[in-house]
Amino acid sequence: MTPARPVDLSVSIGTLRLRNPILIASGIIGYGKEYERLVDLETIGGIVTKTVTLLPRAGNPPPRVVETSAGMLNSIGIENPGLAGYLSEKVPLLRQLPCARIVSVEGEDVEEFQELVRGVDGSGVADAIEVNISCPNVGPHGLRYSTDAGMARDVMTAIRPLTSLPLIAKLTPNVTRIGEIAAACAEYGADAISVVNTFVGMAVDSRTRKPILGTVLGGLSGPAIKPLALAKAWECAQAVDIPIVGMGGIAKPVDAIEFLLVGCTAVEVGTAMFADPGLPAACVDGLVDYLRAAGADSVDSILGAMEVPAGRAPIRAGLPQRETAHESRRSGGNA
Amino acid sequence: MNQVACTVLENRELAKGNFLLTLRVPRQFSKPAPGQFVHLRLSPEGDPLLRRPYSLEGFFERRGIRAVRIYYSVVGRGSRLLAAHPKGRELDLIGPLGIGFAPAPKKTAILVAGGRGVAPLLFLSRRLAEKKRRRVFLFGARSKNELYGVREVKGGRLHLATDDGSVGYEGSVLDLLEREWNEHGHTPQTAEIFTCGPHGLLHAISDFARARGARCEASLEGPMACAVGACRGCPIPLQPGADGERYPAMCVEGPVYDATAVDWERLP
Repeated sequence: MTPARPVDLSVSIGTLRLRNPILIASGIIGYGKEYERLVDLETIGGIVTKTVTLLPRAGNPPPRVVETSAGMLNSIGIENPGLAGYLSEKVPLLRQLPCARIVSVEGEDVEEFQELVRGVDGSGVADAIEVNISCPNVGPHGLRYSTDAGMARDVMTAIRPLTSLPLIAKLTPNVTRIGEIAAACAEYGADAISVVNTFVGMAVDSRTRKPILGTVLGGLSGPAIKPLALAKAWECAQAVDIPIVGMGGIAKPVDAIEFLLVGCTAVEVGTAMFADPGLPAACVDGLVDYLRAAGADSVDSILGAMEVPAGRAPIRAGLPQRETAHESRRSGGNA
Repeated sequence: MNQVACTVLENRELAKGNFLLTLRVPRQFSKPAPGQFVHLRLSPEGDPLLRRPYSLEGFFERRGIRAVRIYYSVVGRGSRLLAAHPKGRELDLIGPLGIGFAPAPKKTAILVAGGRGVAPLLFLSRRLAEKKRRRVFLFGARSKNELYGVREVKGGRLHLATDDGSVGYEGSVLDLLEREWNEHGHTPQTAEIFTCGPHGLLHAISDFARARGARCEASLEGPMACAVGACRGCPIPLQPGADGERYPAMCVEGPVYDATAVDWERLP
């Protein structure tokens, strides 16, 4: 039996080279240390840290999580030690991680975003910064920055000159036309777009007639949102030429492959990992198997490889027919 | 803490909808402390999506076989699925997790159990018996057939209470605690309280302890996602001023926590 040919899984997000496209999403494994006995980080591309804010946040009142059909609603409220706590407590932990470290930040205004980007850039351990402009669980600024293309532009414009690290703008799916927000981020300095953050949702206890979450509304994640997330990732991939990091409901390796097929360069695994800490590694193995079965020697060959047959096109009310970025690429446009 | 495969040795219905589950665990599962819990994956198919945390009733090691025991009630999808698990079925478990009880060596341990909350206290009681510590077990339930595991209480004094008076004192286990404290002349210097049960009961017991300046540890219950301190999904609300503005995670700073510091009004 001949040994299996090696398969090149490496992908690039701006200047960040990842050994494979499987990442763990923000808010899932803290800063890596918490899961050290359960996840072998040497097998995956990297992790995205719990979001760091300028000041420490205690988080939201309980209950913060509730399981719903094929999903989980959360209202954590970005509990984190703040930038100073990140620098003193978390940076030493991150330094030891055997995978890429993408640090997630969220500011309450443009100045806070700037201070956070400066601080994380200066900490020396970040391989990239995920700019969280999309958490549904903090207020009052909450979702403003990624529901408004103008505000997304303001944040990106303000932070782009402050770092040479790749900036990944994380978007909310709670908008009508996500492509427009993605395009604004790309135009004003984002190296990549990550989609999606959670969908705003709620759960009610019919017995007590009260909302289940402490903050009434929360963010829905898990397999329930996968088709929704896939559509948003695809829309972004149509709208911009920078890499897309896709996520939302990945629960098995084929889910990750689907995100790559619709045009993502990497994916983030999230909620399903709580039940199955081995899921990210299984996604890497599943990707290798898929590529081998297809006779491919590189993951590049499947990025954006979904083909929409002639005559099939999405119907979008209110949108004029136009040539998409994807089609212009294929027809020999800007590659 | 480890992720291990365990096997159902026994899954017995003790009373309608209430089960005792015995799981064989491998050697990689380290010896748990009373009050610690395990995070069980109930289906590899992803439904339910999240694992479920279960407090341990005991840990047993005999002729090289290691086992843990769990009490559970059928309350939702997860526990309904668990009830259908036959002997021999394999389950994925993460544990042992969390912080257990921390009894002081020289004090009398007063164990106060409400219903199914008896589980971690039976574990604690056995551990105290091994160490020949002074202890008294107060156990309340709605009725006689819900006094699960009462035969597991060996040595030390045992007092029972039932809401319907079917056995023992007719009324709340809180009354038993008050009587015990007064009649035996316990003081905060000589005794401490360990409790588990419905949060309403724990609230009342913590009020009792705080009024007397007594140390009181309660084992808490709540939904958890990761159970290893990463997701911050299981906050323990604290009394104002108890520990600044902060929510300890029930999974890693609990589930056993200083009952007098908990803001029970805000704990679901």
